[in-house]
Amino acid sequence: MFDAIATLLSSDALYDSAFQFSVLFAFAASGEWVAERAGTLNISVEGMLLGGAFGAVVGHQIAGSAIVGLLVGALFGLLIGSVQANLSHRLTANQFVVGLALNVLVLGLTAYLDSSIGFDPARAKVIEVPGLVDLPLIGSAIFGRPWPAYLVYPLVPLLWWAVFRTRWGLEVRAVGENPQAADVSGIDVNARRRQAIYITGITCGMGGAFLVLGQVGTFQSGIVNGRGFIALAAVIFGGWTLRGTLIGCVLFGFVEALTLSIPANGYTIDPFILKAAPYIVALTVVLVFATRVRQPRALAQPFVRGLT
Amino acid sequence: MVNAASAAGATDAGTGPAAVSVRGLTKRYGDVVACSAVDLELRRGEIHGVLGENGAGKSTLMKVLIGLVQPDAGTIHVDGEQVRVDSPARAGALGIGMVHQHFSLVDELRVWENVVLGERERLDPKHARDLVATIGERYGLAVDPDTRVGDLTAGLRQRVEIIKCLRRDPSIVIFDEPTSVLTPQESEQLFAVLRVAVEREGKAVALVSHKLDEIRRATDTVTILRRGAVVDHGPTDRFDQQSLAQAMVGRAVSLRGDDAAALGVTDAVEDEARHAHERSGASEAAVVLRIEGAVLDRYGHRVLDGVDLEVRAGEIVGVAGVEGNGQVELADVLSSLVALDAGTVVVDGETVPTGRAGAMGAARVGMIPEDRHDAGCVLDMSVAENLALGRVGVGSALRRIDRGSDEAAAIDLIERFEIRCSGPDAPFHSLSGGNQQRVVLARELSGDPKVLVAAQPTRGLDVGAIEFMGAQLRATADAGVGILLISSELEEILHLADRILVMHAGRIVGAMAIEDADVERIGLMMGGVVDAPPPRPRPTGTGEERNG
Amino acid sequence: MADVRNRPGLLTGRLASTDTGVTLAAYAVSLIAALALSAVLVSATGGSAGAVLDALLDGSLRSPGAWGLTLTTAAPLLLVATGTIVATRAGLVNIGQEGQVLIGAAFSGYAAVRVGGPGWVVVSATLLFGAVGGGAWAGIAAGLRAWRKVPEVLTTLLLTFVSFPLLTYGLSQSWLLADRDTERQNQLNTGEIIPGDARLPDLRLFGNAIDSGFLVAAGLAAILTLAMARTLLGTRVDMLGFNPRAAQRFGVAAGPLSAAVLVGSGATAGMAGAVLLSGGAAGDRLVFGFAGNFGWDGLLVALLARNRILVALPVALVFATLRTGSSFLAATGVDRKVTDVVQALLVLALLVPPALLFVRDRRRALRSTGPSTAPSTNPTPEAA
Repeated sequence: MFDAIATLLSSDALYDSAFQFSVLFAFAASGEWVAERAGTLNISVEGMLLGGAFGAVVGHQIAGSAIVGLLVGALFGLLIGSVQANLSHRLTANQFVVGLALNVLVLGLTAYLDSSIGFDPARAKVIEVPGLVDLPLIGSAIFGRPWPAYLVYPLVPLLWWAVFRTRWGLEVRAVGENPQAADVSGIDVNARRRQAIYITGITCGMGGAFLVLGQVGTFQSGIVNGRGFIALAAVIFGGWTLRGTLIGCVLFGFVEALTLSIPANGYTIDPFILKAAPYIVALTVVLVFATRVRQPRALAQPFVRGLT
Repeated sequence: MVNAASAAGATDAGTGPAAVSVRGLTKRYGDVVACSAVDLELRRGEIHGVLGENGAGKSTLMKVLIGLVQPDAGTIHVDGEQVRVDSPARAGALGIGMVHQHFSLVDELRVWENVVLGERERLDPKHARDLVATIGERYGLAVDPDTRVGDLTAGLRQRVEIIKCLRRDPSIVIFDEPTSVLTPQESEQLFAVLRVAVEREGKAVALVSHKLDEIRRATDTVTILRRGAVVDHGPTDRFDQQSLAQAMVGRAVSLRGDDAAALGVTDAVEDEARHAHERSGASEAAVVLRIEGAVLDRYGHRVLDGVDLEVRAGEIVGVAGVEGNGQVELADVLSSLVALDAGTVVVDGETVPTGRAGAMGAARVGMIPEDRHDAGCVLDMSVAENLALGRVGVGSALRRIDRGSDEAAAIDLIERFEIRCSGPDAPFHSLSGGNQQRVVLARELSGDPKVLVAAQPTRGLDVGAIEFMGAQLRATADAGVGILLISSELEEILHLADRILVMHAGRIVGAMAIEDADVERIGLMMGGVVDAPPPRPRPTGTGEERNG
Repeated sequence: MADVRNRPGLLTGRLASTDTGVTLAAYAVSLIAALALSAVLVSATGGSAGAVLDALLDGSLRSPGAWGLTLTTAAPLLLVATGTIVATRAGLVNIGQEGQVLIGAAFSGYAAVRVGGPGWVVVSATLLFGAVGGGAWAGIAAGLRAWRKVPEVLTTLLLTFVSFPLLTYGLSQSWLLADRDTERQNQLNTGEIIPGDARLPDLRLFGNAIDSGFLVAAGLAAILTLAMARTLLGTRVDMLGFNPRAAQRFGVAAGPLSAAVLVGSGATAGMAGAVLLSGGAAGDRLVFGFAGNFGWDGLLVALLARNRILVALPVALVFATLRTGSSFLAATGVDRKVTDVVQALLVLALLVPPALLFVRDRRRALRSTGPSTAPSTNPTPEAA
């Protein structure tokens, strides 16, 4: 038993794929964190990831370059984000309904287009950081990645800075806590909320593109498979702080990686447990952390001026 | 009356163009004319009172000035130049700022963050902190810039509100009913700040109020609005109470009783209260509501900290206090909305489980809530359904609804309480505020309550509606119902209550019979200065105190 | 995680607007826009929109026996939608129907092959087990919500992703759902074939075989419509959705009632799973991915019907038409997934008119009642 754990924990492959998934979750959850701080519980993360993944193969197909793939992925994410944002925070349609419909739409649309067009595999180059890549266990996991993975390093501090050090971020936090007060202070509440969702769209689009370019190499309709919802759980796990959210991403990254590396190392655990593990862990995490920390007060509450 | 009224004579109205000059301003909402050809002139170095009842058009006028509402007709000149104020940002650029009553602070943000919220410049925390300190010093409004606003008292929150407004250094400052969250003493301090703003800084200040005393005490000139039109204006010392009141209400008023309370004439109500022996007949009646050691924590704050009180059948017990000292939570407990962390509520001898859905209603505790849209009604249901809410939670879920009898009952109540609506099927949200309040009152009284809790029952109502409410409450008490009147309007309490309790920081810090009422002392207690006898450990000595 | 529900129209279908002409026009415009967009998509990918429409109608209505199949397909959609509508009216956001359908089907599959006795006993047990399974699955979310205020929007979703491998597990264990007939080929991870007498009987009308599951669905929809309109239960559910604090004050305890409603909506979804299995709309035995998006589609039906059960019936029929029709799409060279796109576009399109009308009505209401009823007090209802 202990041997088994030791073998698992000393396998490079575990850290490799754990890091891979953590990066994916970090792209999605850090953007979602911004939207939630502004008061939207944005369940279209799933669709944004899938849209980003699809955008990556489209961009790659058109220009033959992973950079364009990433850009088109981010653009597709932004597109989905702008539909979500404008339907829920301009027309005040229910944000869950919009998110759900968008998830279904993107799933159907990408599957349809994928089957009617067909795309080449698309991969980004691996960039190895000399020296560091040879560190034991985590060397190649952290320092020998396809290049889109490294974008997460500037992205996360950038989002933190935007939310805590800029006027825009102050206003985002204000509309997530008390939209009425923000409104009276002269802030366009729904504009801030929309902008926060645009950011979610961009980061999730990048995450989806990373999933294709840096991880899977092709587009498949089931490529995201509910991982967007795990990113939602990571934000709750983090208690709506960015640091906690990232810790959540790493945690879920390891759970996902274990479900791959346990069978890969020849141990037999029921596939049911393996496949369900990330979601069961997510449920447990939500259960434990949902009430321990205070969420943004206006989370998931629409704002219409003059509405009690 | 305190000395400040004399200050009015001292100012000589400025010459040259007015800071703000409004001419012929008209604003309609559908068929309702909120402002009709209103003229208003604010001058530098002058505190200008805007007096009127609720619904007289004061707030519409001010919203036009700060760009929240666009007028249908009329012009605005600032320093002689004609301007268009189409947004709050534009108003800010023109040097017009407003201190809001409610709503403009975010609890979770720090003081300095709130102060700079809504501006356009780059965020500079150090500069913002310094500003809070500088402005605090200049006007005597000290507050720690790094405290979370949610941790401040109501008085300090208003300081933040004022700093937030003054920070943009407006030359024209509008205060909208600023004293509703202050103790009488804090109000005096606020007026001193206003004085500093006009005399040292040369600002133009508008003080919006429905209270005669405040206007007379703090302003230099006054404009009186009634039903959307200016009925009189001039230097404040030209008016006495009687003429102000008459202009405001539009008829001769007695400055006694209901009118005096509704108009905020403190002296008259206090005086009457002292001679109110005829009101204190209920002291031997049975106790219908007893709260013992009520403790409640919310968001990590102890909001109720051992509240003890009792109400006897047929008496009106007034709970005075500045908003935010636990009144909302006390009302929530008596609405079955929250469970106490410790303590008991006993209604007519039976202990009622707090926080259990509908338990207070079942024990026949009626409730006129502070915010009727919160738990007092369902906006999307009809008037008849809202009148029948008390029966929804009773009995098996599979029972058929008898719409016929509900409708008959509703028609009866609509007539008895003179509710103006298109019929029992009218959607509740289509009713005006006053009529919505009547629906609530009708429902609660028709439930044959033993105890009636009235939380800020007259907020936002005009004088006529206030009188109606006062009469209803008194008649209800005479019929043997024990009434707990929670209000931040001291005049309302002095006027209606048989006994006064003062609430501060989640505790009852003072109690007195109505004959011993003393505004000065109550004000100090509201501010937490407990010079009076400490809260009685067991609320049993009521009768004795009253007679002694 | 409270939503502001004390507002007309949006979640409940009680739109304040009385202007039916404008309302209908707005709906018509958005529906046409959605369909036009779908046509553009088909053309852009080399298909012919006309041929697609033809094929859809052939498959769902015109070909022999097709409309019977369409009604059979509509039954589980209607069942899912009915329960969802009641839950939404209570202010709950249950979006895990796919998992609830799947678990319901698994439970009913167990009952169908293990319960002995005359046909009607087995069929009843099948339906009952389905309801119990779906209800229990939603009950997990209900329990977490009641116990720790965990938002059901997230738990129902996550549970869906647990339900897929759970069914696979069940199908791999012979003491649970796996086919016990070891003689049969290709039995890996499939359930036993449901015996004929454990099936819901078909009704035969004009050469069409209509599964009696449709009657079950329509009957349940009728009963719930009546219950919502005529009994205290309906008032309580609506009150909980409109204004949970008022509900609490007037004796409608949010905890037990919302838990019950959530379990109930899971139970109807579970029953949809049972109907799916014993009615034959999705094959005659359990396999991986058995629920086949019936849960998601039923949820979309509920959203499209804007929370009126009676409206859900025609919407379910439209969705069923798209579903059965899509089997004829192969001949046109257009992938059948296009129907998923059409469905989602319809949902999005129908979100727009009520929202627009709401904004307009709200502005009018503010104007006509004057400024005094504008912002009221108490901006922060107690956060969950």
